[in-house]
Amino acid sequence: MTDATLDGGPINDGLGPLHGVYPQDSEAGEVLRFQSTLQPKRFLGLSLRNGLLNIVTLTLYRFWGKTEVRRRVWQGVRLNGDAFEYTGRGKELFIGFLLALAALGLPMLLTVFAIQFGGPAMIAVLYPVLYFGLFWLWGFGLFTAFRYMASRTTWRGVRFRLGGSARSYGFRYLGALFLSGLTMGWFWPVAQRGLAEKLWDELRFGDRRIRFRMGRAEKVSVYGWYALGWVGTLVGYLVFVIGMVALFAALGMMDAPEGQAPGLGFTLGIYGMMLVLAPLFLLIWSPFHAAMLRSISAGVTLDGAGFHLDVKAMPLWWLTVSNMAALLLSLGFLTPWVQARTAHFMVSRLTSAGLAHLDLARQAGRGPGSGEGLADAFGFSAI
Amino acid sequence: MQGRFHDGLSARPSTVEVAWIDDGLRFAAEGGQARFWPQVGLKVVREGDQARLSHPSDPDARLVLTEADWLALGGSAAVAVEKRGRVREFRLVAGLAAAGLSVTAFVFWGVPVFAGPLARATPIQMEKDMGRSFDAQMGAMFRRCEGEAGQGVLDELGTRLSMQSDTPFDVRVRAVQAPFVNAFALPGGSVLVTDDLIREAETPDELAAVVAHEVAHIEKRHVMQAVWRSLGVGLLLDAVVGGGTGAGQQAVLLAGQATDLRYGREAELEADERGQALLTAAGMSSQGMAPFFARMHGEGEDKRLATAAEFVSTHPDSARRAQRARAYEKAGAPALTPSEWAAVRASCGAGSKDAVTRLKDRLRRRGDKTPVDQGDQVRQD
Repeated sequence: MTDATLDGGPINDGLGPLHGVYPQDSEAGEVLRFQSTLQPKRFLGLSLRNGLLNIVTLTLYRFWGKTEVRRRVWQGVRLNGDAFEYTGRGKELFIGFLLALAALGLPMLLTVFAIQFGGPAMIAVLYPVLYFGLFWLWGFGLFTAFRYMASRTTWRGVRFRLGGSARSYGFRYLGALFLSGLTMGWFWPVAQRGLAEKLWDELRFGDRRIRFRMGRAEKVSVYGWYALGWVGTLVGYLVFVIGMVALFAALGMMDAPEGQAPGLGFTLGIYGMMLVLAPLFLLIWSPFHAAMLRSISAGVTLDGAGFHLDVKAMPLWWLTVSNMAALLLSLGFLTPWVQARTAHFMVSRLTSAGLAHLDLARQAGRGPGSGEGLADAFGFSAI
Repeated sequence: MQGRFHDGLSARPSTVEVAWIDDGLRFAAEGGQARFWPQVGLKVVREGDQARLSHPSDPDARLVLTEADWLALGGSAAVAVEKRGRVREFRLVAGLAAAGLSVTAFVFWGVPVFAGPLARATPIQMEKDMGRSFDAQMGAMFRRCEGEAGQGVLDELGTRLSMQSDTPFDVRVRAVQAPFVNAFALPGGSVLVTDDLIREAETPDELAAVVAHEVAHIEKRHVMQAVWRSLGVGLLLDAVVGGGTGAGQQAVLLAGQATDLRYGREAELEADERGQALLTAAGMSSQGMAPFFARMHGEGEDKRLATAAEFVSTHPDSARRAQRARAYEKAGAPALTPSEWAAVRASCGAGSKDAVTRLKDRLRRRGDKTPVDQGDQVRQD
């Protein structure tokens, strides 16, 4: 170990030099070592239990179930020998949900009434507001969900904290979607990195700031893989249409009288086709998704430490496809198992180089009192 | 024995000497203040080879021991600490299950009970406004048939029947193009009859029976009732499941729709009965209802027939309805003259199929059971 690395930098991990943010820190930092003690098969019992309790309680148990899954996933991830801890509670998610219901449900209800009872003028005014408002709210909800999760994550007893503004993230999200639509998707990789920057750059461990460095993130190229996915999708779509026509012809549906119900063979054909095509579409997109994961993790830095997520396209594809199959076949029951193996997959591929001064982190405030209502309302939850 | 202590103020760990004394953990960091965490309130999480302890008296602090050390140190107390919390979990689940049951009960019994009075209390103008909006949406989906002479006859038929009813709404009947056999009443008095239904009806009386049935729906404000019911059920269940996309959440929403169907059937039977009474009051024959339902039922058994299956799904149990209709039916004047009937039949033109194909379809469906379609004969007059 050289003197240069002892004071927190610079490191050179192939992405360029990285200097410590706190040059005054004279103490030697630590190299960050991640370890997963997660055993996905130990989540099978929890999967069954959560699923059954969800049925019995008309899904009201889901907030507590989700909390339990997070608690167990977090405690299965270790950094330098100490496990992370999730300190959130089911009640907090439930209250967040009730708040979102009031904040989102009531205006939605009023809008629905206004549209039903009001004239076309009302619809013309309300639709765009509702349309753009929802996208903004989606971004807002995502950010507040991350803020809640960060505040309920501790390591060595010290909380994480997400600063920044959920409102401005909402606008950024809206803009990202709008520009991506305008450019037929080609803006999306830039947008995705930009959104990641907004999140990671505001994250703190205690009072210790985590930084997102776009220059490092951009060193991992993603556009080639994006082009592969984009063109592949176009070709795949054409193949799908041709396949459908062939299916119609094979089943003699071309000259079928209008209004006749599609037969069983036809329905099975459609689903079969989708089942075959979904993994194929995932396959052509997985190099991009893997590259984006590598790019974003390369952008995250803490003091003099940089990160590397060694995710390759094929393993990521297999993870996604097998997760989807498990969820489909178990009717969603296996969600906790899927989340545990995904977390294990990521953590066991995460490495770090350079030194971080974790010891110097001091406790952060308690964060929001309730969590994730909006994100829950939109059905968003990474875990 | 030794443990690693995080004081909850900074992330700098310190090594502490830990002992189990007086039913609690006693430990002190080097040069720091001694701490005592009593067994009551002590929480432990075991994962891998570690046990992580915490105590509410020191909410952010954590003490980490090896699993073996913790089990040796805590002894039987260690087991007791881990058992706690299960009672709380049970109470939580019981409470949530009770909440779920109450919601279910309200959805199945409460909402349908409230829907009737709520529909009757809905201001007429409000229902009319709503109807206009519905009508515009339906108009965009199902094109109005172009034969104005036939449309006029149909509308007149609706007016004659509604004169016998006690409704504040102007009943307006029109024929639309749609690929299924159905007729529906919208809030505010609009009735839509599909071209396929007009084609399926073999006599004017059958068509009149369907229109009378829809007028009865309007009179009884069934449509508004259904709106309130599905709004109530939908809102409540959406509120409970949060509009989520999980399988469990979808199952709950599906179950909610089943309630709607159940109460929908009762309204259908009521509308059949009242519809026949309206026909009789208007001096028309109410003998068209039974044969129409009977035929729908017969065709419904043939799974290949989409048109009939469609009708059966929204108007279930056609056989029973046919039976009931037959019991109450009374003779009367034909609903339409042959020329009026011909105009109605012509109002939607050939529709999606030409006449020859339609005739072939029918013959194929029925085999030799019935003679060639009367309706087509009338039309050729």
